[in-house]
Amino acid sequence: MATATVESSVTKSRVQPQSAQRQLSDRAIMNLFIWPTLLLLIAFNFFPLFYSLYLSFTNYRATATTAPVWLGIENYANILTSPDLWQAFTTSGKYVLFSVALQTIIGFALAMLVRGKFRGSGLITTLILIPMMLSPVVVGLFWKLMYNPNFGYFNYLIGMGQEGSLDMIASRMFNQPVPNLALAAVILVDVWMWSPFVMLLVLSGLNAIPDYLYEAAAIDRASSWFQFWHITLPQVKPLLLIAVLFRTIEALKSFDLVMGMTGGGPGNQTELVAVYLYRVAFLGQFRSGYASALAYIILIIVIAISNLYIRNLNRAKGA
Amino acid sequence: MASFAESGPRRPVVESIRVDKVSPGARATGAVRALIVLLVALIMLIPIYVMFATAFKTRIDVTASPPKIFFQPTLEGLVLLFTDRALAAPARVQELQQLEAQGKLNLFEQLALASGQEITGPSPYVGRIVNSLIIAGASTFLSVLLGVLAGYAFSRFNLPGKDDLLFFILSTRMLPAVVVTIPLFLMFRQVGLYDNHIGMILLYTVFNLSFSVWLMKGFFDEIPREYEEAALVDGYSRLQTFFKIVLPQSVSGIAATTVFCLIFAWNEYAFALMMTAEKARTAPPSIPSMIGRGGVEWAAIAAGSLGFLIPVVIITFALRKYLLRGVTFGAIRQ
Amino acid sequence: MATIQLKQVEKKFGDAYAVKPLDMTIADGEFIVLLGPSGCGKTTTLRMISGLETVTGGQILLNDKNVTWLHPSARDIAFVFQFYALYPHINVHDNIAFPLQAQGEKKELIDERIKQVVELLRIQHLLNKRPGGLSGGDKQRVALARALVRRPAAFLMDEPLGALDADLRETMRAEIRQLQLRLNATTVYVTHDQIEAMAMGDRIVVMNTAVVQQVGTPTEVYYNPANLFVAKFIGSPGMNLVQGQFADGVVQLPGENRYPLPDGWKNAMTRGENVVVGFRPESAHVNPEGKLHGEVYATDMHGSYNMLHVNMAGDNVVHLRADRATRYPIGANIRFDIDPPMARFFNPQNEMALRRQ
Repeated sequence: MATATVESSVTKSRVQPQSAQRQLSDRAIMNLFIWPTLLLLIAFNFFPLFYSLYLSFTNYRATATTAPVWLGIENYANILTSPDLWQAFTTSGKYVLFSVALQTIIGFALAMLVRGKFRGSGLITTLILIPMMLSPVVVGLFWKLMYNPNFGYFNYLIGMGQEGSLDMIASRMFNQPVPNLALAAVILVDVWMWSPFVMLLVLSGLNAIPDYLYEAAAIDRASSWFQFWHITLPQVKPLLLIAVLFRTIEALKSFDLVMGMTGGGPGNQTELVAVYLYRVAFLGQFRSGYASALAYIILIIVIAISNLYIRNLNRAKGA
Repeated sequence: MASFAESGPRRPVVESIRVDKVSPGARATGAVRALIVLLVALIMLIPIYVMFATAFKTRIDVTASPPKIFFQPTLEGLVLLFTDRALAAPARVQELQQLEAQGKLNLFEQLALASGQEITGPSPYVGRIVNSLIIAGASTFLSVLLGVLAGYAFSRFNLPGKDDLLFFILSTRMLPAVVVTIPLFLMFRQVGLYDNHIGMILLYTVFNLSFSVWLMKGFFDEIPREYEEAALVDGYSRLQTFFKIVLPQSVSGIAATTVFCLIFAWNEYAFALMMTAEKARTAPPSIPSMIGRGGVEWAAIAAGSLGFLIPVVIITFALRKYLLRGVTFGAIRQ
Repeated sequence: MATIQLKQVEKKFGDAYAVKPLDMTIADGEFIVLLGPSGCGKTTTLRMISGLETVTGGQILLNDKNVTWLHPSARDIAFVFQFYALYPHINVHDNIAFPLQAQGEKKELIDERIKQVVELLRIQHLLNKRPGGLSGGDKQRVALARALVRRPAAFLMDEPLGALDADLRETMRAEIRQLQLRLNATTVYVTHDQIEAMAMGDRIVVMNTAVVQQVGTPTEVYYNPANLFVAKFIGSPGMNLVQGQFADGVVQLPGENRYPLPDGWKNAMTRGENVVVGFRPESAHVNPEGKLHGEVYATDMHGSYNMLHVNMAGDNVVHLRADRATRYPIGANIRFDIDPPMARFFNPQNEMALRRQ
């Protein structure tokens, strides 16, 4: 006992000197480590949100020199009754629904396909993942080139000659306007970009399914089909759900891609809420009060879905 | 021919595998599956190939219909992207023609002769790229630094309301950029941070902060506490254990976080579009704006996009181990 | 039920044998235990019978039908996994129902079968629980129920009790054996625990380094081990093995010990030949007049008896079972004898047992 005490005090005296005078308590270190982050987040997220909450009840315009006038809930009332906004929400709704649904199906199918290892499967998997890492606005741009009715590859690849060229972005097919073809064109690009994301998540879910479950199922005489529905699907469900929620949030926020491809056009065919908001808040109008109210409405929707996302995330981690 | 069920596979199976997976049917399915994957991958990479090809096509080849798969590569697009040009004076054109007759033209002179335009200097795009590098680099450094500190604190210390704080931090990333931008735009304009490098650096730092905190917390969570506890028992201070024991073990995590932050900042478009005009404008919003200027220089746009693409492709390969973690904010690991 | 036959069944991983060509016939209703240390090829053999592992050569016959290349599901065998392999996302009832549902059986039949099987295993109260919340013993009962509910031709069990603690193992051992006898179910059971093998098996197949060492009833492998490996592996502690030299009817053992051969062995070896003498601890008796002697090195009290560790010289330590009442101080010299019919002899070169002649 005595020797042990002596020993430990010796080692202590060897290391302590530099730190002894100014050894910070854990609590101090914790504060030192966390507060810079929290302060920045508060300054750049919290504070602006309160500011814009105030603005959303005023008629403020960023271009105006006059002080904002309090309007009460007039902005909100106007927005909720404005056909433009409902148009934008409808467009966003379609966009989210179709692109997330397609991404989920294609991503899931891709994951099932690349799941079995074969020569070069690692390389191919990584190649498939490239699109989601790219800058959406740049992606939008070169897809615009792909879609070009005169010399784009798209018409060429789907077997349309020059005379039958399909102008997806302007929604002209054989010189006939086809409504929402532009939206479909944007959805296609979003699916191209983000199916790999769903694939990545589902793949990790699939890889986490222990082999012995399939062995047990083979012994239990389950067909591949039965195994898929009773083992594979339930086992990847948590991760699939997370992928869907994450993509839903991102698709609701979608801005860059559309700006790169169509800027919301032609007309307002591809004007998603974020694009609409950008137009109201910045382009020419600078209706900051009105836009803030709109931003708040979008915010509430995104927060609701984010909550779902995080709750599911915790469940999936717990499982 | 004897059936598989009677005679088994032609070659003995010297690996661990289930019987039903070596049947001819299973083998064929596997081969078909690999083929489909390969095809899908190739189809998915078409747009990337198109962009790559376009960047090295001449103006005429870009608009050729049907599209040219094989073509004479040129650096025209790159030159167009990085230079400003003006119409060449007739005298200069003659001079160039003479030089051409002697076969003494360099690339720039060839281009000048072909287009009738003379290079007058670097294009604004050069400055935009420099801005992108400065802003992405500085903000990445800051957000990783803060993320490492906060991630460590969240991983190791018990503070009241930790889960709520973490949720708050994550939720900031869920906000659509446009929503936060309106008040930020007004604030920035007030304090002179609009169209300013420092403003953008701060903005991107915050933008990536929630990501780096979550990711780094995940990495720290994986380092066993026992090492630190042993060091603390040996008389090291908390800060010393952090620097001497924890940081060296999290180098790969920090590297992954850094690269992800760099990509996000490098690719970011919405903030840059709304919060910058000229001085601090980064590359992403300036590429589409090239479409506005006269005839669309697809080769230049593709060359600009390529500059965005190549680093990302390299990084995707380098980070493939961490991709899943990265895209789910460190919540899901492989 | 079923008979299982293995004909020259072998498995190679790359160039290395996991199981060298093996012949085995398992009779209807027999309980066969594959016993051996980890990596001996016992689990691989079991998995080959089930189809979860392909063979590299040979044939597997189930009820005289060649099933070597049949899908696991086409073999009519049930498999009980070491870590239960229950489906974690469905409750116990659905786990047990799984093999029947997979075959598209009618609900009435499923309910009827489940009722029988849960009564048999006394797990009625678990039906609505998820496997994750069950104890190890209950998980294994559910896994057994899932195997039983199908009424397969044969059961394959891969260390089903390996993950349970000692007490529970003993209980479950009896439960499984009782079930097997009641159903007269042909069973192949893998374990590394020789006590389990002795307690449960009709016959034991002892394996080591991909090779079958001996096939026999528990009594056979215990009393007449075919080679040094089996002698050492079976029993705890294993058989005492001391090397010596044979000459003139006597084996010269370390420490000036001279062991006269019992009847019937003299012709089994030649003069000057090296030979290993083997005997079980309980076949040796402390006896002041005994022919062998050594120094007490340690004693373990086992309640009903004392286990003596006796050093015969040069670290040749043997174990003797001795009277629990007598004290043997460490360092004391004692003399002992071996029950003549219980002495065994081995050839140290090929490690095989010598036969009485």
